[in-house]
Amino acid sequence: MRNIIEVRNFVKKYDKFTAVDNVTFEVEEGSIFAFLGPNGAGKSTTINTLCTIFDKTSGTLSIDGKDVSREKDAVRSVIGVVFQEPTLDNKMTVLENLIMHCHFYAIPKSEATERIQFVLNLVDMLDWKKAMVSSLSGGMKRRVEIARALLHYPKVLFLDEPTTGLDPQTRAHMWEYIVKLQREKNITIFLTTHYMEEAEICSKVAIMDAGKIVAIDTPYHLKQQYTKDKANITTLDEQGLEVLLDAAGFIYKKKTGYYSIEVNDLPKLMEIISEHKAAITDLEINKGTLNDVFLEITGKDIRK
Amino acid sequence: MDIIIALWYRNIKIFARNRVQLIFTIIMPFFFLFVFSSVFKNQNIENPVNYMLAGIVITTVFQTSLTVATSTIEDIVSGFMKEVLVSPVKRIQIAAGQLLSAATIATMQGIIILFIGYFIGLKFTSWITPIAVIGVMIMVGLVFSGLGLYIATLVKNSQTFQVVITAITMPLTFLCGAYIPLSMLPKALQYIAYLNPMTYTTAFFRTIILEKTSLTTDQLIAEQLAFKIGNFIITPPISMVIVIIFGLIFLLLSTYVFSKVDFSRINRSKSKEGDIFS
Repeated sequence: MRNIIEVRNFVKKYDKFTAVDNVTFEVEEGSIFAFLGPNGAGKSTTINTLCTIFDKTSGTLSIDGKDVSREKDAVRSVIGVVFQEPTLDNKMTVLENLIMHCHFYAIPKSEATERIQFVLNLVDMLDWKKAMVSSLSGGMKRRVEIARALLHYPKVLFLDEPTTGLDPQTRAHMWEYIVKLQREKNITIFLTTHYMEEAEICSKVAIMDAGKIVAIDTPYHLKQQYTKDKANITTLDEQGLEVLLDAAGFIYKKKTGYYSIEVNDLPKLMEIISEHKAAITDLEINKGTLNDVFLEITGKDIRK
Repeated sequence: MDIIIALWYRNIKIFARNRVQLIFTIIMPFFFLFVFSSVFKNQNIENPVNYMLAGIVITTVFQTSLTVATSTIEDIVSGFMKEVLVSPVKRIQIAAGQLLSAATIATMQGIIILFIGYFIGLKFTSWITPIAVIGVMIMVGLVFSGLGLYIATLVKNSQTFQVVITAITMPLTFLCGAYIPLSMLPKALQYIAYLNPMTYTTAFFRTIILEKTSLTTDQLIAEQLAFKIGNFIITPPISMVIVIIFGLIFLLLSTYVFSKVDFSRINRSKSKEGDIFS
């Protein structure tokens, strides 16, 4: 697979504040790539620069082999963008918004109607064609925006926090659309999020903190590298369990009502469990999450 | 060209949809007409109502073009402009679309007031006059939408935008002789009025709409259609040249600045400042 996005030593400064500090990464064509990080980590700044809205301070950024700062128009015609904040024309109807977009991207009139039909159908918004944008709910607006961003058949679709502020059900739907797009149209999807569950679905995740990429890999590898499975055991014989765990050299914490044990050695833990099974009332083994990865790397909890 | 027309069409459509705004922009001028036309009765002016009406038409064109062009800032704040900025559309096309629609809306309003004015007593003797009048309205509309767009690129926040607009339109409207004759103003304010492009716009427009082009210089000065500044007399044709030069400067300046301005620093009303950096 070739790289559709390449970023080398990208730096963006606002006066003295460095928003993005020497970032290098690439994105494979047809993949779903996620930027994960807390607010203010530099995710949106990177997206906005890739989308040709902001000017970089230094470094090179390219999309589909075209330089983002020198070939702005060429880059603009191959990207679709859904911003964090709605950018629909509130004073117009859904259809009028889409027609306007066709004008902007020089889509021939003969094709426009068919494409509008197609993208609206994709996000289940055909029935709302004639509605004023200002009368739509947040989730509907987001769907229209995704539809609009796809009208000109972009190679890369940027989604800046596509599901923020949406209810869980709409969020799930949104992801169906995103995955469907990537599979059927082979569109590269570049998104930012601070929801861990969302990052799990992506082909590759870059964790950003304070303007730097602190880790970049598949969600699976990240978890494997930075987290350990945890076993939570509730027991009637606390002392007995502690003795066994200490003897085997496990690291554990006593929480209210249960013990949280880092699973370094699964067979050994299973031995302890079978030895201690008479006293165990509850057992649970948890996989590490991307939040644990984030916590491990930055020492901060992303949800705060 | 297709994009300019599409943007132009959008802005006109939005304006036409806002009925309340439309009605008020028509009522307000006539309110002023009744309040201020008595002021002109004491002046050396042949037909004060028509004289006043002419002033109202042109200030309406001026105010509308300025306001509509500056409303570009609302598009920037509401996010719509962000969509435009990531599309392959050239910024100069956006500027042209905004300028042309502002001029068109301003001219349409001028025509509406002119039409009502016809029933109040504004009559033309030559068929060239209405054509010339519309031509001048389009020109004046373009000139001040240039100024409006320029202001839009300077103001980075939609709250200050309202204040700035009032702070600019008020003195320009009241110190140009449209509502209050310049001869009634204190000397100091008169000199300020001579720096106001609207003074020349109003004088020049009145000369055309009231069909005073054949008047002698002395008569023009008496009717306040020409100005004597020191030994120099600014006749209506010179006024026109002044307005055109002023307009060209701001049209070029606004399109230039608009194509260059870095929109990353524009403060969006809904979000905190920190969000720009995130």
